[in-house]
Amino acid sequence: MNRRPRGLRRTITLAFAVGGMLLAGVMSLGTYAVAREYLVGQRELVARQQAFADASFVRDGMLTSGRQVSDVLGSVSPPADSTIFVRRGEEWYSSSLTQTREVVPAELLQTVGDGVPALQWGDSADGAFVATGVPIPAVDAQFFEVSATPELQRTLATLAWVLAAFAALTVVAAAVLGRWAAGRVVAPLDGIAGTAARVASGDLSKRLAATEDPDLVTLVGSFNAMVDALTERIDRDARFTADVSHELRSPLTTLTTSVQLLERRRDELPERTREVVDLVAAEVRRFRHVVDDLLELGRLDAVHDGSARDRQVVDARELAGEALVTSGRSAELLAPGSSDPLPVGVDKLQMARAMVNLFDNADRHGGGVVTVEVGRDDAGEGCQVVLVVDDAGPGVAPGERERIFERFVRGGSRGSLPGTGLGLSLVAETMRAHHGSVHVEDAPGGGARFVLRLPLEQGASR
Amino acid sequence: MVVEDDDGIRTALRLALLDEGYDVVAVPSAEEALAHLAGAEVDLMLVDLMLGGMDGYTFIRTARVTHDVPVIVLSARNDTHDIVAALEAGADDYVTKPFELKEVTARLRALRRRGARVGSVSSAVSEPPGGRALDAGAGLVLDQTAGRVTRQGADVQLTVTEYRLMVELASPPGRVLSRAALLRSVWDRGFFGDERIVDVHVRRLRTKVEQDPSDPRLVVTVRGLGYRLDPQ
Repeated sequence: MNRRPRGLRRTITLAFAVGGMLLAGVMSLGTYAVAREYLVGQRELVARQQAFADASFVRDGMLTSGRQVSDVLGSVSPPADSTIFVRRGEEWYSSSLTQTREVVPAELLQTVGDGVPALQWGDSADGAFVATGVPIPAVDAQFFEVSATPELQRTLATLAWVLAAFAALTVVAAAVLGRWAAGRVVAPLDGIAGTAARVASGDLSKRLAATEDPDLVTLVGSFNAMVDALTERIDRDARFTADVSHELRSPLTTLTTSVQLLERRRDELPERTREVVDLVAAEVRRFRHVVDDLLELGRLDAVHDGSARDRQVVDARELAGEALVTSGRSAELLAPGSSDPLPVGVDKLQMARAMVNLFDNADRHGGGVVTVEVGRDDAGEGCQVVLVVDDAGPGVAPGERERIFERFVRGGSRGSLPGTGLGLSLVAETMRAHHGSVHVEDAPGGGARFVLRLPLEQGASR
Repeated sequence: MVVEDDDGIRTALRLALLDEGYDVVAVPSAEEALAHLAGAEVDLMLVDLMLGGMDGYTFIRTARVTHDVPVIVLSARNDTHDIVAALEAGADDYVTKPFELKEVTARLRALRRRGARVGSVSSAVSEPPGGRALDAGAGLVLDQTAGRVTRQGADVQLTVTEYRLMVELASPPGRVLSRAALLRSVWDRGFFGDERIVDVHVRRLRTKVEQDPSDPRLVVTVRGLGYRLDPQ
C-alpha cells in the first residue's frame, strides 16, 4: 500500500467536516423523531375524538328514529379527506361513493369485531391514512372512520427537508471552520518551515521570532537553539581551518623562499642533491597550493550571503585570457567569439583562481585544455555569461558529476600530477559566492566539458 | 631593510635579497628598525604588518614622518581592511604571504625604477624651465627636471610613488587614465593588480596637492573610467 499521506491541513479540515456531519446528523434525526412522534400523536388524538364524536352521532341517529343507516350517514358531515364506514351484520355503509370498505385494515376489523375500539395506520395509493374503529354494541354495529393525512405528510416532508438542509449547511460550515482552524494551526508551522528553508540554504542569521504562545514556545526555543548550535559549529570549523592555514603561512613562506633560493643554485649542486631539491621544491609547491586553496575556501565560507568582497566589473573574455596567460598557457586556447563586451562583477583574483583550477584539473585528468569558450546566454532567467572549458580526457561518469565538486574528492590519476583535492570545490564555492554555477557534461568531441555561469553585469559601473 | 618578526621568513628574505645584490639589514622589531633608520641610510623597506611590540602600521606612519623611504608591506592576510590600512599609513605596495620570491623581487624592482625615473624622465620630455604650473592659483608647480613638486616655491613632500603618479597623470594633463593603466605604469602590475592601491595613493596625493582634498579639482575621478589631472 502506498497511500499518499494526507496533509495536516486536509486532515484537520476533514476531521471538522466529519465531526460536523455526525453532530448535524444526530441532531437532525433526533429532532425529526421527536417532532414526528408529537405530530403523529396529535393526529391520532384528533382522529380518535372525531371518530368517537361521529360514532356517537351515528348511534344516536340509529337509536332514536330507527332510520336507515344510509340516511344517518348522510346527515353526518365528516371532515374532508375522511370517510365513514358502518358495518351492521354483513352490511357495509359508506359516506363516500368512491372509497370502498377494502380500505379498512383487516387487523382493525378483527380488533373492533372483538368489541374493542382501536386505531391503526395504513398506506394506500393516495398516501398514508389513519383508520379508527369504534364498536357500537347498542345498535349492533361497528363504526370505522378512515382519514387521509396529507397535511401531516406535508409537514413531515418539509421538516425533513429543512433538517437535511440544515445538516448539509452545518457540514459545509464545519469544513470552512476546519479550514480556518487548520490555517491557524499551520501558520506558525509555515513560518518555521520558511525559516528552516532559509537556514538550510545557508542563511544562518535567520531565527524564529519569539512567541507568547505556550504551545509553540518549546518548538521555537528548540529551533533557535539548534540553529545557534549549528552556526557555532560551522563557525568553529571555519575558524579552525582558517587558523590552521594561517599558522601554516609563515613556515610555508620560509620554506618556499628557501627552496627557491636552493633552486637558483641548482647548478652548483651535485647531481643527487639536485634531485632531492627538485623533489622538495615540487612538494613545497603542492603544499603551498593546498594552503592557498584552504585559505581561499575559508574566505569563501566566511561569505554566507554570496556577496564576494572585492567586486570589480571586468570583461569575462579578458579575464579568461589573462587566467590562461598567467597560468603559463597559451591565449590561443581561447576560442574566438564576438567582440561584444561581457561584463561580470567578480573578485578578479578569486575568479581567475577558479578558472586556473579548472585548467589545472583539465591538465591533470583530462589530457589538457582543448578550448575555452566565453559567450552569453540570454535564455533562462536574466542574461548570463557562460564560460566553457573542454578537455581531451575520458570525461566524467554521470554518477561522479556531483561528487567531484566536493572537498578532498580526487579523480583517478594520483600519479605524476597529484592535485590538492580542493580545486573543483573551490570552483564551486567561488561560483556560489558570485551567484553563479558550475556543472560538468560531455564535450561534443569527447572529454569533459565544464560550464561556468555568471550573471551578466547590467549597467556596468563601479 | 627587512622588518619581520618571524625568524624563518626574515632569514630567508635576507638570504634571497643578498642573492639579488641588495645590501640587507634584517631586524625583528619596529623599535630596532626605527633605531637603525636614525643611524643609517635605507633605500627600501619590507615591513611585516604583524609585529610584536609596535605594529607595522604605526611603524610606517612613524618612519614616514622623517624618512621618504619606499615601503612594501608583507601582509599576512589578504583582507581588504588590512591592506587598505597599510596603504593609508603610507605603504607603497604590498605582497601577501605566502609569497613567491619572484613576486617580492618584482615589487622591489618596480619601486626602485620609480625612484630612479625621478631624475631621468625629464630629459626625454621637453620641459619648460622652472616646471609646469599645475595649479596657478595655489602656485603648485611640477618640476620634472628637479624631480619635485613645489607650492609657492616650497617643496611638497611627495613619496616616490606619489610623485610618479603625479608625473603619469600630468604627461600630458587632461587625459583620463584608467586604474589598470596606472597600475601598469606606476606599479608595474598586470591585469590582476589590486586597483585599490591606485585609489589609496590618489587619496594620499590629493591631501598633499589639493586645496580642499574633500572636493578634489586637480586630480578628479572620472566615474567608471579612472582619473584625470585638470590643471587649474
